[in-house]
Amino acid sequence: MNAPQPQMRVAGESHVGKIRTHNEDSMIVDSVLGIYAVLDGMGGANAGDVASQMARDAMLEFVIQRRGQIAPRALLEGAIQAGSRAVYNAAAQHRERHGMGTTVVACFVLDPKYVWLAHVGDSRAYLLRQGRLQLLTRDHTIVEELVDRGLLSAEEAERHPYKNVLSRNLGARPDTRVDVIELRLEPGDRVLLCSDGLYGYAPVEAMQYLLGSGDAPEHVAHDLIELALRGGGGDNVSAIVIEAPPPPPSATQVVRTTGAVAWWQRRQRFLIVAKERGLTRNPIVRGLDANEALELVASSLCQAIYHDLEKSTGVNVWTFAQNLAGGWFERGGEWGPVRAMFDILATASRVVVDDIREGDAKLGFLLDVAVSRALVVAELALGGLLADKLRQVDTDLIELHTSLHDKFEPSAPAPAGTDDGLETGERFIDRPTIPFLRPERPVTNSGVSGEILEAIGKTITIARARTTPRAELIKQILGALETIASDGGGNFATAVLSARDLYGVRPVDDAGIMPLFDALDQARILTAASVHQIQASDTIRAKVLKALSSAHQRLVGATTGLALEAALPFAERLHEVQQVTSELRDQVAAAERRRAELESKHASSIDYSLPWGQRGTTEW
Amino acid sequence: MSEADMVEAVSVLRDEVLDTVEHGDRDPPGTEVFDALLRALAVGGESVPGLDLALHDAVSRRLAWGDSEEVVLADAEMVFDRVLIAVERAFRDPADQMVVVEAATLVAVTVARVVALAAVARASRDRAARLREEMAQRQLREVLEKQKATIKRLEQDIEQADYSD
Repeated sequence: MNAPQPQMRVAGESHVGKIRTHNEDSMIVDSVLGIYAVLDGMGGANAGDVASQMARDAMLEFVIQRRGQIAPRALLEGAIQAGSRAVYNAAAQHRERHGMGTTVVACFVLDPKYVWLAHVGDSRAYLLRQGRLQLLTRDHTIVEELVDRGLLSAEEAERHPYKNVLSRNLGARPDTRVDVIELRLEPGDRVLLCSDGLYGYAPVEAMQYLLGSGDAPEHVAHDLIELALRGGGGDNVSAIVIEAPPPPPSATQVVRTTGAVAWWQRRQRFLIVAKERGLTRNPIVRGLDANEALELVASSLCQAIYHDLEKSTGVNVWTFAQNLAGGWFERGGEWGPVRAMFDILATASRVVVDDIREGDAKLGFLLDVAVSRALVVAELALGGLLADKLRQVDTDLIELHTSLHDKFEPSAPAPAGTDDGLETGERFIDRPTIPFLRPERPVTNSGVSGEILEAIGKTITIARARTTPRAELIKQILGALETIASDGGGNFATAVLSARDLYGVRPVDDAGIMPLFDALDQARILTAASVHQIQASDTIRAKVLKALSSAHQRLVGATTGLALEAALPFAERLHEVQQVTSELRDQVAAAERRRAELESKHASSIDYSLPWGQRGTTEW
Repeated sequence: MSEADMVEAVSVLRDEVLDTVEHGDRDPPGTEVFDALLRALAVGGESVPGLDLALHDAVSRRLAWGDSEEVVLADAEMVFDRVLIAVERAFRDPADQMVVVEAATLVAVTVARVVALAAVARASRDRAARLREEMAQRQLREVLEKQKATIKRLEQDIEQADYSD
C-alpha cells in the first residue's frame, strides 16, 4: 500500500504476523487528504478488526467532511472522537461485540514542514532526526499512569503483570481523551507510526538503523515488518513511514556527482586542448609518440581530477604531480619543463571548466572552485619537491661549512646531555606530561570477561612462539599488549607506562625510531594471525582481536606521543638560539648607529685647512 | 563478504564515524584516515601498496595547513575508536568484523608511524637550523667586536680634537 506524494514520501505496510490468524490492524494512508493512521483493534469474536476498520472509516469520513473548515488540531482530535463514537455505538448495539475497541496513532500533514500527531492507546509515533530516533508518544496504559503518579517505579512497571492493559482506547467511552502534538519537521526527518506488534518484537536500535538507512520509505516499511517477524511476529504488525522532503544537495554533493560526471564526459576535449598547447613537445615526454604522451600525462591527470572530485579529496592529483615531477627530477631534469607542463595542463583544465560553465553556470562555478583546488594541490606537491631539493642543498652546505670550520677551528666537545636541549642528567622520558594524551578517557575494551582474558593469553602465547629467539623487542611488545588488553578497567596510564618501557632512551632520528615502529608492526601482524589459531568461536575471536587491536592502537599512540615529546626540545632550543641571534643583531645595529653618529661628529671636527694626512680622518 | 561489498558496507558508516554534519561541505577531521581504511579494505592483505604514500601525503598536507602532529594523531584515534564501535553494530558476521578491525589497526598504526617520522624530520630540520643560527651568531660577534674597537678609536679621536680646540 504505497502512496507517493509530490513532496513528502509516505509508505505503509501491515502484516498478520506469525501467530495470529487474522489481522486486526487497520491503516489510513491518504496523501490527498494528508492523513495517515495506524489502528490496532481488540476484542473477541473477530470484533478487533471490526473495531479498527469502523474507527478508520469514521475518521476518514470526518476528515473528508470537515477538512479546511476547522483547524488541523481540532480536525485530528474530532476525527478520532468520531471513530471512538462509532465503535462505542456499534458495541452497544451488538451484544457479541461488547468490549471491542481500538488504539490509534494518527498524523495529519497540512504542509511538508508541519504535522499534527494524535494518539490513544499504545500505538506509537517515532521521529528520526539526524540519525537519532526519539519516541514522540507516551503509551496510555494503567501502569504508565501509575508511574506518572509516582505510585510505581520504572523497574516495577517493567515487571508489572498488567503492563499491557490500556487506560484509554477508542470504543470504551463515547468520548475519549486524545493527546495531540504539533511537530515542525526538518528536511530529511522521518516519522514512523506503528502498532505494538512492531516495537514489541523489534529492537529499537535496529528500527533506528533501518529508518536511518536512506532507503525509500516503502523499503523501510517492508524491512521493519520483516524485522518484527524475525523477532517472533507474535502480534499483528503495521508501520507507516512518512519522510519530509530531503534537503537540497550541498555544493560538495553536486561536485561529487554531477560535477565529476560532467568533467569526465569532457576528457577528450581536455586531451585535445593539451595537445594544441604543446604537451606532446614537452621535454618530459620526449621519446614517446603523441598518443602515448597524452595518455600518460593528460589522461592520467584528467582521471586523477575526476577521482578527486568524486571523493572530495586531493590525493590523486597530489600523487600524480609527485610522480611526474619527482621522476623527472630524479633523472636530473630541470624545473622549466615541469612548470611548462603544468601550465599546459592548467590551461586545458580551465578550457574544460569554461565549456561546462557555458552549459550550466552554477555547475561551472562549483567545478571552477573544485578544479582550482585540485590544481593548487598539484602546485603544493611541486612546491614540496622543490623544498626537498632546497633542503638537501642547504643541509649539504651546512655540513660542508661545519666540516671546514671544524678543520680550521676545532672546538671543545659539548658536555653530555646538552645536545638535545635537555638539562644535564635529565632524560626526556622523565618529563611528566604527554601533550595529546587524555588519561581520563577509558579504553574501549574495558570490562573484558574471563573467557576473553583467557583467549587473549592464548593468542599472545601463540604469537610469542612464532617470534624468533632474538626478537626481544617484539616479545616485549607482545607482553605489553597482553597487559593493556587485559586491563579491564584500564585507562591510558597502562599504555603510557608500557610505551615508556619500550621507548627507553633513543636518538631522535630515523635509526632510533624506525626499529621501534617496525617491531610494533610485526607484533600487529603476529597477533592478528595468532587470533585465527586459538580454539574459540568466531565471536570470541572477534572480541579478542578487537581488544588486542585497541591495546595496540593505544600503545602505538603512546609511543608516538613519546617520539613527539622527544622532538619538542629541538624546537625549543632553536627558539632560544634564534632569540640570542636577534639580540646580537640588535646590538650590531645599535653599534652601527653609534659608529655613524661618531663618524659624523668626527668629520665636523676635522680641520680642512691642514694638508691631507694631517687632518686626523678615520679610514674605513 | 567480498572486498567490494565490504568497502560499500563500511563506507555507509562515514557519517557515523566522522562528524560530517557539523562540518558541512568541509572535510571533517579524520577524513584521510577513513578514506585510507576504505582503501585498505579495497586492496586487502597485509601489505597495502600506496597506503603509506597516501597517508603520508594526507598527513603532510594537514601539517602544512597548520594542524599539529598531536591533533592529527588524536583524530586518527577518534576514527579508530568510532570504527570499532560502529563495526560491532553494523556487521553481524564476526569474520567481517575482524577484517575491518584488522584494516583499521593497520591504518591507525600507519598514521602513527607517519606522524612520528614527521616529528623526527622536523627535529632534524630544527637541529640544522640551530647550527645555522650558531654560525650566524659567531659572525655577528666578530662584527660586533670590530665595531666596538672602531667606536673606541673614534671616541678617542674626537676627545683629542676637542682637547686641541
